[in-house]
Amino acid sequence: MSQNLITEEKVMEELKKAIVETLRVDEAQIKPETSLINDLGAESLDFLDINYRLEQAFGMKMARHFVLEHIEEIYGEGSAIDENGQLTDKAVETLKIRFGENVPELQPGMDMDEVPAMVTVESIAKGVMDILNSLPANCTKCTHTEWQTDNGSHLKCGSCGEPAAYANGDDLIKEWLSKVQAENNIF
Amino acid sequence: MLITGSSRGIGNAIARKCAEAGADIAINYRRAGGTSQAASEALCREIQAMGQKAIMVQADIAVKESVKKLFQDTAEKLGRLDCLVLNAARAPFKPIHKLFERELKQLVETNYMGNIFCIQESLSMLEESSGKIVFISSLGSRFYNPAYPLGSMKAAMESVVRDSAETLREKKISINGVCGGIVKTDSFKVLRQYWDNIDMLPEELFVEPDEMADVVLFLCGPESRGISGQTIVVDKGLSNSLYRPSGK
Repeated sequence: MSQNLITEEKVMEELKKAIVETLRVDEAQIKPETSLINDLGAESLDFLDINYRLEQAFGMKMARHFVLEHIEEIYGEGSAIDENGQLTDKAVETLKIRFGENVPELQPGMDMDEVPAMVTVESIAKGVMDILNSLPANCTKCTHTEWQTDNGSHLKCGSCGEPAAYANGDDLIKEWLSKVQAENNIF
Repeated sequence: MLITGSSRGIGNAIARKCAEAGADIAINYRRAGGTSQAASEALCREIQAMGQKAIMVQADIAVKESVKKLFQDTAEKLGRLDCLVLNAARAPFKPIHKLFERELKQLVETNYMGNIFCIQESLSMLEESSGKIVFISSLGSRFYNPAYPLGSMKAAMESVVRDSAETLREKKISINGVCGGIVKTDSFKVLRQYWDNIDMLPEELFVEPDEMADVVLFLCGPESRGISGQTIVVDKGLSNSLYRPSGK
């Protein structure tokens, strides 16, 4: 369910904090459209560090794998990335649904190593919000329906105090892929 | 002395430790323009401030031509090579049965072939200096570690250490390994995402990068002359005992 106890502003605040602490950059450099790789020099380990900090901040699990890996896990190796390490037409079609049409570099034949550069501050924040919005209607322990927060970032059951159990990021991507496939029959 | 993958973590600690002991250091990192390069630059300045020579060489050990250039640059700028530390590693984090073919290739190309390319390219210089090679391994070579296919490559390389110790003996080059337990480096940040509650292990079981570096320094020095083809475990006793008293 969509929740309104943790705001987008709070997510952005924690995300900026995680980026500043991991990459040691000035907060003023961090804009929604900032690419962590191209603009801030992030590397793969840095993403894991940022994810970990966000997980600690909100009590949830970020995706361990990118959309392309999930596509290949579901539809087979070669379905998203060809033997030359380049994106297939189907991968591009899927990513355009996820990231929007407004990403000019996203073309069939794009090198898979260039894809992580598409991850922006905004796209990470959206990923966090998607997870937070997977908040179940009822507490998994006592089925109470009221959630509360003391600090604006961790939700707990208003009755028994059980921490909120969100869907994890990888499961949400898989769920999204099934929906996209059902609607568009790409693969 | 050349340390592959030395911008961060264990490699970085080895570079500092050996520079403190008087070595000139070639720092290697894989990707230009990222945080590794920035970390290498900082390390380079730090070592130079100690009064030692330090150079940075960008090279991907998985690419043979890149490795050739790594050793050419080291030879040109440092003039000699007494020790090669094989520390660089790169691997996906997922169970082995889920690896795609390209991930398997990358795993082998960097962590097995890449290390062997480095050994091959180092031989002429190390033969001149009767030098030493130290491979950095991890307990994943011997025990299950979640989502850690790198462990199988570490196991293969420990075998290479044993093998090469004999075949390089006639060149008077020695080779050994150091096998780390749970070392608190950037890679630990990955491990804790796959190993729930790893932070709850007692602090005394975590290895500091500096503790790895001390053993590497020992293996690079003359005091280790009696050791050949061995991989020394540095794990604070983690792998030594099935018994853990409650709360430990």
